[in-house]
Amino acid sequence: MTTESPPEGGAAVVEEPLTERRLGAFRIQEYALLIAVILLFVIGAVLRPDSFPTVDNVHNMLTQASVVGVIAVGMTFVIATAGIDLSVGSMLAAAGMFGGILVDPEGSTLVFILGAVFFATALGSVNAIAIAYGRVVPFIATLAMFSIARGIALLLNDKLPVGLLDLNGGSFGDPAAFSLLWFGTGRILGIPISVYVFLGITIAGWLVLNRTRYGRYVVAVGGNREAARIAGVPVRRTIMSVYVLSGFLVGIAAVLLCARLGSASPVSGNLYELDAIGAVVIGGTSLAGGKARIGGTFLGVLTFALIFSLMTQLDLSTEVQQVVKGAIVLGAVLLQRPEARL
Amino acid sequence: MAGAAPTLEVRGLTKLYPGVWALNGVDLDVRAGEVHCLLGPNGAGKSTLIKCVSGVVEPTGGEILLHGDPLPVGDPAASLGRGIATIYQELDLVEDLTVAESVYLAHEPRRGPFLDLDRMRSDSAALLARLGHEGISPRTRIGALRPAARQVVSIARALSRDVRLLIMDEPSAILDDGEVETLFDVVRRLTADGVAVVYISHRLDEIRRIGDRVTVLSDGRTVATGIAASTPTDRLVELMVGSAVEQLYPERPRATGDVALSVRGLRRLPEVRSASFEVHAGEVVGLGGLVGSGRSELLHLIYGLERPDEGEVWVEGERLEPGRPGRAIAAGLGFAPEDRKSQGLLLDWSQTKNVSLADLHRFQRGLLDIRAERAAVREQLQALKTVPDDGERIVRELSGGNQQKVVLARWLLHDCRVLLLDEPTRGVDVATKAQLYRVIIDLAAAGVAVLVVSSELGELVGICSRILVMREGELVFEVDGAAASERELLRHAVAPTDSADLIEEVR
Repeated sequence: MTTESPPEGGAAVVEEPLTERRLGAFRIQEYALLIAVILLFVIGAVLRPDSFPTVDNVHNMLTQASVVGVIAVGMTFVIATAGIDLSVGSMLAAAGMFGGILVDPEGSTLVFILGAVFFATALGSVNAIAIAYGRVVPFIATLAMFSIARGIALLLNDKLPVGLLDLNGGSFGDPAAFSLLWFGTGRILGIPISVYVFLGITIAGWLVLNRTRYGRYVVAVGGNREAARIAGVPVRRTIMSVYVLSGFLVGIAAVLLCARLGSASPVSGNLYELDAIGAVVIGGTSLAGGKARIGGTFLGVLTFALIFSLMTQLDLSTEVQQVVKGAIVLGAVLLQRPEARL
Repeated sequence: MAGAAPTLEVRGLTKLYPGVWALNGVDLDVRAGEVHCLLGPNGAGKSTLIKCVSGVVEPTGGEILLHGDPLPVGDPAASLGRGIATIYQELDLVEDLTVAESVYLAHEPRRGPFLDLDRMRSDSAALLARLGHEGISPRTRIGALRPAARQVVSIARALSRDVRLLIMDEPSAILDDGEVETLFDVVRRLTADGVAVVYISHRLDEIRRIGDRVTVLSDGRTVATGIAASTPTDRLVELMVGSAVEQLYPERPRATGDVALSVRGLRRLPEVRSASFEVHAGEVVGLGGLVGSGRSELLHLIYGLERPDEGEVWVEGERLEPGRPGRAIAAGLGFAPEDRKSQGLLLDWSQTKNVSLADLHRFQRGLLDIRAERAAVREQLQALKTVPDDGERIVRELSGGNQQKVVLARWLLHDCRVLLLDEPTRGVDVATKAQLYRVIIDLAAAGVAVLVVSSELGELVGICSRILVMREGELVFEVDGAAASERELLRHAVAPTDSADLIEEVR
């Protein structure tokens, strides 16, 4: 063996430390996030022992987190291709409003769900076509959709929200009937339905990203588009698909949100793009593409949820929360930097 | 030997990375006015050594003296300020800047707060003239220059800071044979001015032509220093690899089978004007020519990365849909691109993922069968003697030769019928080159049709059954590999009219 290729053997030995260092940094990031989640919970429990570590509050946090969480799974796919989707918050509102006017004043839950998911997917497809075929930069294409979708949301019912309490089976939902509110407030084994949806989509997202050909293609396109093309990856189709997927998941998130609130509001989803992108980035997915961590996104979503629940309970205003939110995202991107340089 | 202190003296230099000595006692002295060649296999420590000298890396022990004075270590600005300039293999020029702007980038002459454009232009013109390249206009955009001309601009940039020691890391890797002459001419002018040059190259024939003395590194140690550049090749190779290298070129293959690849009237202006030829199963066909003659573009057309204006590509009797690499792969084509790092590989991925990318459907049973994927890839990596061959290593951290093996493993795994190779041994050391030649020949022996583009004519003459020469977008010459000579190939590659002016601007 050594007589075969001594120089190459030598090369491998010399380069060893690089691997170690990188794997090391990488592990630290994932553990750090898990520790942050636990630490935040402990801090909350110490500062507000009566209201923070309660079953109600945990349910509340998780229910709220699941809306952004579902969006963040789609965002992970988009960012893995080195793209970005700034339109998720606006599309969320537009999807809810579209579903809402379909069933106004009364209609079936199923129509609402299909309508909302369809409309969000359609808007996502517009992003997809503009980016993959129109060759518009993702930042610009989705910034345009950010404005378009919000405008549509406001236009659909003349800036007014649509009440959804009367869908299928009355105000608070006959538990036996298939009611929209069941999605928002129902529980199985004491755990909110939306949490199951979030968990299910996270696991499915992980499997698709890490254990299917399609997932490999998504990350390959983000890592090195030219190399992916030469290896036979259908680059354009792959890029297109992630924006459609992002729209589809926004539709599901819209259903979860409307179900919880019992109405669709044209001003909902404001700044959700920042929450989703922030969760993805602090989870370790590279904004430069080529590296995606659904598990990290999941922890990132929980981290955000804990921070805001904590700040709310400490009576910090939403303005303060906004400042903190932005600072966390900036900090996370800064932390990514040395890794990008390697 | 006696007299003034040498320009550069390195004494007992060591560099410890966590757990590994990248440099383990390197000694070297470089005199003013000489070309001192640095030889060694990939991973021998050449890069670490020059990074220590240029201040990018801080050595663990030993000393570096410049004109007899200790050089502050780990301080790039200090190295630069004392007249040490480094020209890296990947030229770090900005395509959109002009020649003058590039030469004075980051130390622009100013008049008050404004750039002194006139002085920038006249001074850079003077520098270019000093290098014998008055022909390059200071107003030209870098993007419009050929690689050789860009290199001259890089050297001019080094000169603009009064360089005393110029380090060149594989400067000839991106040049064709004609352009290398231009480079040598520039180097000779510099040494005549008393500049000391450290020259790194894997091409032994070059070292003999341009070098005065040679230092050989292996495993982070100096195994020979200051020996004459005229040392016989066998001896140099022996020093590098620690033992005599097996025969560099294996037995050349003969065409055995039916036509595997048929290219009919392929054309895409302006690069490719017309190309028709066939490659048989079991044959290695070489495609020679100068950089810019349309060789790489022709491969891109065959593989479907570009759509031809006209013409057809047939693989084993089936016509390929133009402009569809995915279809080409399905038809049995494989392609190892010229620039492994930017076109061939996902550098932050493991070897396994890089190898399997073109063939993932084979492992998809609902979900991907990760275990089967790893096993299949490992088998190919082992067959290619990749180091390491476990498949888990991040590709960025492999040497150039092993990166190339990862690319080849992809097409071995795919079981391709026609393999297109663009500069397969660029930047690879001699021992690994020999291995890659062996792989290519073995593939041909197994019935694969191989088409190789190379700027190293000696390599084509060494391994090809047949050689085609391309010039200005057309195939102008064909010769049996056994009967070919480098001189003859070069003569056909260089246009009869403008053979002298290799650095003209691209239209």
